[in-house]
Amino acid sequence: MLYVKNLHKSYQSGNKSYNVLKGINLSVADQEFVAVMGPSGSGKSTLLNCISCYIPFEQGTITLGEQELRGLDENSLAKIRNEKLGFVFQDFMLLDGLTMRENILVPRIIWGEADKQAEKLADQLLALFDIEHIASKYPADVSGGERQRTAVARSLINQPLLILADEPTGNLDSKSSRAVIESFENARNKLGASIFMVTHDSFAASFCDRVILLKDGTVYDTLEAEPGHKEERRGAFQDRLLGAIREMSNMEDSL
Amino acid sequence: MMTLKSLERKLQKADAKQAKLYLFCNFVSLLLITAYSAMMFSPTVLLVLPEGGDSRKQMIAIFVLALFGCVVFTIYASGLFFRKKAKQLGTLMALGASGRKLLPGLLGEVFALSAISSLLGIVAGFPFVWILWNSFKLITDSNQMALTLDFKCLYLSAVFFVIVVGFSCLNAYRYLKRTNIMEVMHEEHRNEPVREMGRWCGPVGIGLVLGGAVLGYMGPVVCHRVLNYYAPAWLNILYAPVFVGLYMIMLHTVVNGWRSRKKHPYKNLIARSMMKFQGKQTVNNLLVSTVLIAGSAFGIFYLPMMSVDRIMEIKSRPYDYYYHYRADQEIPGEEEISALAAQYGLAIADFRQVPYLSLGMDGISEVEDGNSFHYERMPLKSEGRFLSQDSYERITGEKISVQKGDYMAISNTDETGLYYLEDTATVLTNMVTFQSLPTNFGGYAHYDFLMDSLGYYVLNNEDYETIAAGLSKEWMGQTAVFNIDGQDSYEFSQDFFYTLVSSFGPECEQPSYYDRVKKYYDNQMGEVYWGDTTRMTKISYSEPNTSDFRMYWKYMPKSRILDKTEFNRTFAVFLMMFLFIAIICSLAAVIIEYTRCMTIVLNNRYVFEDLKRLGASPGFIRKEIKGQAGPVFKIPALVGMTAMYLLYALLMFGNDGKITTNEIGGLAVCLLVLLGIGGVYYLVYRYAVKNMCRQIFE
Repeated sequence: MLYVKNLHKSYQSGNKSYNVLKGINLSVADQEFVAVMGPSGSGKSTLLNCISCYIPFEQGTITLGEQELRGLDENSLAKIRNEKLGFVFQDFMLLDGLTMRENILVPRIIWGEADKQAEKLADQLLALFDIEHIASKYPADVSGGERQRTAVARSLINQPLLILADEPTGNLDSKSSRAVIESFENARNKLGASIFMVTHDSFAASFCDRVILLKDGTVYDTLEAEPGHKEERRGAFQDRLLGAIREMSNMEDSL
Repeated sequence: MMTLKSLERKLQKADAKQAKLYLFCNFVSLLLITAYSAMMFSPTVLLVLPEGGDSRKQMIAIFVLALFGCVVFTIYASGLFFRKKAKQLGTLMALGASGRKLLPGLLGEVFALSAISSLLGIVAGFPFVWILWNSFKLITDSNQMALTLDFKCLYLSAVFFVIVVGFSCLNAYRYLKRTNIMEVMHEEHRNEPVREMGRWCGPVGIGLVLGGAVLGYMGPVVCHRVLNYYAPAWLNILYAPVFVGLYMIMLHTVVNGWRSRKKHPYKNLIARSMMKFQGKQTVNNLLVSTVLIAGSAFGIFYLPMMSVDRIMEIKSRPYDYYYHYRADQEIPGEEEISALAAQYGLAIADFRQVPYLSLGMDGISEVEDGNSFHYERMPLKSEGRFLSQDSYERITGEKISVQKGDYMAISNTDETGLYYLEDTATVLTNMVTFQSLPTNFGGYAHYDFLMDSLGYYVLNNEDYETIAAGLSKEWMGQTAVFNIDGQDSYEFSQDFFYTLVSSFGPECEQPSYYDRVKKYYDNQMGEVYWGDTTRMTKISYSEPNTSDFRMYWKYMPKSRILDKTEFNRTFAVFLMMFLFIAIICSLAAVIIEYTRCMTIVLNNRYVFEDLKRLGASPGFIRKEIKGQAGPVFKIPALVGMTAMYLLYALLMFGNDGKITTNEIGGLAVCLLVLLGIGGVYYLVYRYAVKNMCRQIFE
């Protein structure tokens, strides 16, 4: 589904150049829920922004489905963002002047127009994520969790190949975080969505099938969840994750 | 069914608040520019402000400043609009809307907003001018004040309109062309810190402002006096350090502040850091406001400087009335004037009348060679009025001693305006017999009342008699003065003036700078005297109340009560035009500052919210708000007014190498006026702070 090969990205600050991504290789399979974790400055968000084509990168390839993203012009990239990718941002990025239902429909409107079928799908998503009651409210009138679930619904309206989520629980309390992560699970289980999520939150990451640990712009480790009872598996996976993160931090300290 | 078009329409509706600010900024800019250009092209103003004269040049120079301010302001407003719009654009782009898809909607919105607001501004400019000008007419009125407009001024508004609309559309295109979508999305919270500079930056800035002012002023003087070259317009570039210095002062204010923070390093820390991280916008705003306030101060100074000088001059006159005339004219004498005064129940006193001679004087003249010039002695350079020693003593009551073979020039006590007097003459010529009298300049006699642009000179009695021999009445004249015994009457003074004007023949319908000697010389040389061409402004007996007539008629009498009472009326257009300029510039500055304060709240609301969460009391937040708004108002006012005050004093000094008593009086009144305007700015500042607090606490 998604293949990232030897991805390099650097930032320029004055005369200095900072390498943020130093040859990242990873992939996400169909209907897989993958998280990327790592300390601040490890390159998580930059990686996500490169995959989203929000920022240009210098070297490497990103393939989504069968399509190589590098070298595409702005219009083709926009088409891919609209049709093949869905986005969930840390600060929701809902449009203040639109109702929650209209916000969900925005990607479809950009595609062409929000017809009856799209409206029906929007209503289904509202129901799936348990936010029907706020359908006609505006972002300023609802809670952070509800806003983020609306953003998840928006990311699914065009039935994309992959949902990209950047710290989706970063601005939420634990209850709302759980509701958002469950929305992702629902999207994967009921709609067959694939999800690639950047997070700091080990609890949120423990819901994933696989977690990639990034450190200093390279893949430090990859952990896979083991099969078993959902809640037991999640608890054990979170413990493993925390252990791996601790080990990564200790290594950094000893250096 | 929702389409992109209907979605955009809905979003535009939701963004009405930010659109309103943008509309307001464009509207105000176009209104001010249109109003200013309407006045600048108005025949009412152009008739009074002489072509090529200093006043007209100053009016244009301040217009350029105002234009610069308004251009920066609209660019700022457009930037602000797009910063707010960026989140929306970024989100749509992130969700897959291509620039090509968004361009028509965004361009349409921006075009409509900028075009409508600009057109409304242009249209509103005219009633604005009309209301302001007619309010001035409540203060002072004259026939010349009747406002007529020339719609050629719309060319300037049209150019500005194209700039505003073009820049907005270009900005829209630039945003959609950006490839880094994350940057677009977070544009609103992007900081624009200015480059840190050391504490030397402020003092060096002040040095550059002062140095630039001196350099800019002295450059043309050096060019003229040392290089014998007429200073080209581009030499004004020497004033450039003033602007660099102003920028550095603003930068220092924003980055370092003027107070040492060694004792209290954390004082105003939040306000200072907020200012610093939006430094580019802040510095630009401060700079534009400073320039506009300086322009406004320049405009307003015109009034007290002109009025105080005039009032003090009128007050110091030793006689209530003065007039002079050619001896070939039938002009009322003591008897007729006494009879006229009697009609108003008045009696005249101290009537004195003395003869004078109009003689040709040689002298050193600047002869143009294209852009440069050389000095050459002209045998008949100018006409001068010569009193005998006895006549001088009779009219002034002061003793004078003029050596035989010398002549003295009558100057005022401060010896200003010496450029009207000829001090290089070596030969005086009887313009009828062409007998000449060798002479030397014997210095200045001081009598303020007889100082005018025609120039009075004094000769030894013997020399006077010698050179007067054979002179016809056409080249002789009489100077008369008198007082009113008791309280004078304005009605009498008017009657006296109109009677006098009607007594002169058409041969005297000349401006003061019409020189008969120079005309004779030019004609002898086979040239046409410039006073006989259309280049010299004509004056007419049919318009005795125009400022041109009152200022430039060769035989204009002086009347204490008439000049005092009609001063405002005579100079109404002058005074009101400069008052208008001051109001426009002040208004522009205040609006820019107020808008800046509102955007501080808009952009930093989250900072104030965070402060509240950290337990900041309303008093603390109010203090931080004041810390932000204070410099926005105070620094431009302080710097702009001080810089212009010093520059004005420099100009006064540069006129004649000294600052006269009248100028000191004028400058003192200017200081009071500045304090008054400062008070108005302070009130606007208070209002802005109140509104900022309301928005934060609501």
